[in-house]
Amino acid sequence: MNRPVILAAAAGALVAGPALFWLAAHGAAEEPAVTRYDRESKYYRIRVVDYPKEGRRCLHFARSRGIQSSMFLSDPVKLDLRYSQSMVAALALHPAPQDVLLVGLGGASLPKFIQKHFPDVRLDIVEIDPDVVRVCQDWFEFKGTPNTRVVVMDGRMYLKRSPKQYDIIMLDAYAADRIPFHLTTLEFIQLAKSRLKEGGLMASNLWEHAVNRFYHAELRTFQAAFPRTYLCKAGDSGNIIVFGSLAAEQALKEDWAARAARIAAGKDLGFDLADLVRREYEHLGTQKIAEKPLTDDMAPVDTLRREHPRHFEEAQS
Amino acid sequence: MAMRLGLLATVFIAGAALMSLEMASFRLVEPELGSDIVVWGSLISVFLGGLAVGAVAGGRWADVRPSLAKLGLILLVSGAVALAVPLYADAVLDWCYPGEGAPLPAEWGTGGGDTLVVYHPPDMRWPALAAGTLLFGIPALLLGMVSPYAARLFVREMPHLGTSIGQLYGVSTVGSILGTLGTAFYLIALMGTRWLLSLNGLVLVALGLSLAAANRLRRNV
Repeated sequence: MNRPVILAAAAGALVAGPALFWLAAHGAAEEPAVTRYDRESKYYRIRVVDYPKEGRRCLHFARSRGIQSSMFLSDPVKLDLRYSQSMVAALALHPAPQDVLLVGLGGASLPKFIQKHFPDVRLDIVEIDPDVVRVCQDWFEFKGTPNTRVVVMDGRMYLKRSPKQYDIIMLDAYAADRIPFHLTTLEFIQLAKSRLKEGGLMASNLWEHAVNRFYHAELRTFQAAFPRTYLCKAGDSGNIIVFGSLAAEQALKEDWAARAARIAAGKDLGFDLADLVRREYEHLGTQKIAEKPLTDDMAPVDTLRREHPRHFEEAQS
Repeated sequence: MAMRLGLLATVFIAGAALMSLEMASFRLVEPELGSDIVVWGSLISVFLGGLAVGAVAGGRWADVRPSLAKLGLILLVSGAVALAVPLYADAVLDWCYPGEGAPLPAEWGTGGGDTLVVYHPPDMRWPALAAGTLLFGIPALLLGMVSPYAARLFVREMPHLGTSIGQLYGVSTVGSILGTLGTAFYLIALMGTRWLLSLNGLVLVALGLSLAAANRLRRNV
């Protein structure tokens, strides 16, 4: 670095330092958000923002206000977002999960939760963006355990390369404004299915806030791939988790809730998992969906996301 | 006049097909090689590389007794190759980056300790460049030949060389824009990736045949 640049930086710091301090002291009441990290990565613009009034730290991608992940500053392991709680229901849908794969790290809220409350679960995480992994370590208190490993890779590439078999594969790889189409198709879900042990299951976090054809097409794709399929809503958050299971028997709501109560017994999960299952469970099974399954050849996810399903338009008119 | 309009239409369609094929190449390759930026960059480079080699080759060939029929032949072959791409795409992608059954790197054992164990991705630069070149190198090269070849037939008087070349390049680029937008906005959702490749192939074959037919007509007149 040459001298003028250093001088300019120093001058900038001299001006910006007190300005930031002033903002922190005086501006906090009107503008409570404090940006901790804001940088372009290979895939996103990653922002870490603190909301001191709410006691939260959030992970944002791009300019969207959408929250990828949220953490309580006072309790970094507690699950804040409703969808992540609904995702945990997967651990109760499977009788004895030992090997779990998570595709998409986000703010590492699920990994931290599983590390603490289910320490015997062997957790593999695939995340495409190395900067997201670093941000989770630096800002979201994500640490290693002997049962955790992170692979920096495209989720589909990993599943294709790795022969490892899992009890549960959780997919949390769709951002509201960026859906990688190759992680939505029947071919991908069949590949994931082939990496499931007997009776294994797959859970995917979807978004149906604005009623859209992609959501329905993805449900249809799960129906085409799995003999048993369920939904678990996440309150009014707009998220909804779809589950595909290879289990021989259909899971009834009460059985699922009972197992949830059993695995939560003696643990302070921070929410009532059995109650969540009872409240949000929906059997998808053979519900008729007027969309075709998405395939590698035909998965126009960006277009489908903008379109309303036909039955929705009929209901409107 | 008719010949000049025909040549403008030719570079327009060739420009549109080129970009439509490039968009299709992303969709074709991404499921197998990943959505990494390395893959996108490689495919774009392959197309530009094809255009560069094609421009030099096409320019040279244009100086040896140029004819509409030969230009038609270039387009016919490029279309035929585009039509054939879906037939061997899977085999090429598998060969460039064998997925299933490939042994895992040794260091992917079990983790340990309190520091996070992070494994980094395989290098996709060579597989992506190789797959892109094998699948789309030839069509990109052939389509790259079109502009200089068409220019040789298009330019009549040297004093207006700049005007003529400018018209050709402008029209070709507008074709490319429409090919890109049409594919991104409509065609990807209207037909699958393989049909999109086939459609481009068919359009190029039809264009090539039309030029050959026009060549016969001109000679008979």
